[in-house]
Amino acid sequence: MFGIFKPRTFFNLANTSIFWLKIVLVFALIVGLILALVLSPIDYLQKDTVRIMYVHVPSSWISLFIFLIIGTSSFISLIFKLRVFSVYAKSLAPIGLVFSLISVVTGSLWGYPTWGTFWSWDGRLTSMFVLVLTYILYVSLWSFIKNYNSAEKITNIVGIVGLINIPIIKFSVEWWNTLHQPASITLTAAPTIHSSMLAPLLIMFFSFCILSLIIFLIRYKYEIINFRVNKK
Amino acid sequence: MILEFLNMGGYGLYIWLSYAFAALSLISLYYVSVKKLNSIKNIEHLYRSEKVKEVSASAQVSKF
Repeated sequence: MFGIFKPRTFFNLANTSIFWLKIVLVFALIVGLILALVLSPIDYLQKDTVRIMYVHVPSSWISLFIFLIIGTSSFISLIFKLRVFSVYAKSLAPIGLVFSLISVVTGSLWGYPTWGTFWSWDGRLTSMFVLVLTYILYVSLWSFIKNYNSAEKITNIVGIVGLINIPIIKFSVEWWNTLHQPASITLTAAPTIHSSMLAPLLIMFFSFCILSLIIFLIRYKYEIINFRVNKK
Repeated sequence: MILEFLNMGGYGLYIWLSYAFAALSLISLYYVSVKKLNSIKNIEHLYRSEKVKEVSASAQVSKF
């Protein structure tokens, strides 16, 4: 059932695909940045600050999506005792941490000119802050616990418990009164933003996805070699 | 014109800080990941060469 997730399959994929992914990344980033910083129109209310959205929103999406994978992988690793899934989660965690930090910092920098404050302890911002702390805890546990089996078990539990925060982040803007605006793009309805703004947003998201994949493959290779070396 | 572009309607500071923070964070993450991989590759190479030495030494011993 989990044959396609074998370390060898991903290791070979990493060796062959990183070069081509880098080429795609460069093209996508150039197009995305030109659209985001030069060609996309200014918002009638937020003026030029809307350009922060092209970094803030994709970073938030990716940080949430990565934690979703970490939580699922932790669950599979804990239940089915498949170590490769905890290696996936371990390789992904630093990427998720960086994207969640980017989301919080750029959100804060966007908040000051639009809301008049860098930070507010409302539902969305607080739950996002909790996600950053969960990522920090997850990454720190892998660093500080030297016994691999213990680290694996504890981080698996953190990954599963941390999943609770994901729907809270998603629905915080609906459950509570927050400064943060509701989602403009959902999976179930047509987007409420204009195509001239949607295009750079999706291209920047695509670029960040490719970059995440490249870094994940590099970190995954490191983890596999590290595991092999330590085993010897 | 360039100054106008950099100024971004008076919000340049927030916009450029956001992009700079994202770029620096992601470049650092990439750099650290590549550096870690290269360091472990060297160690693995050492292990391999030691293994080869062990194998060739044991082969020589078995010759005698």
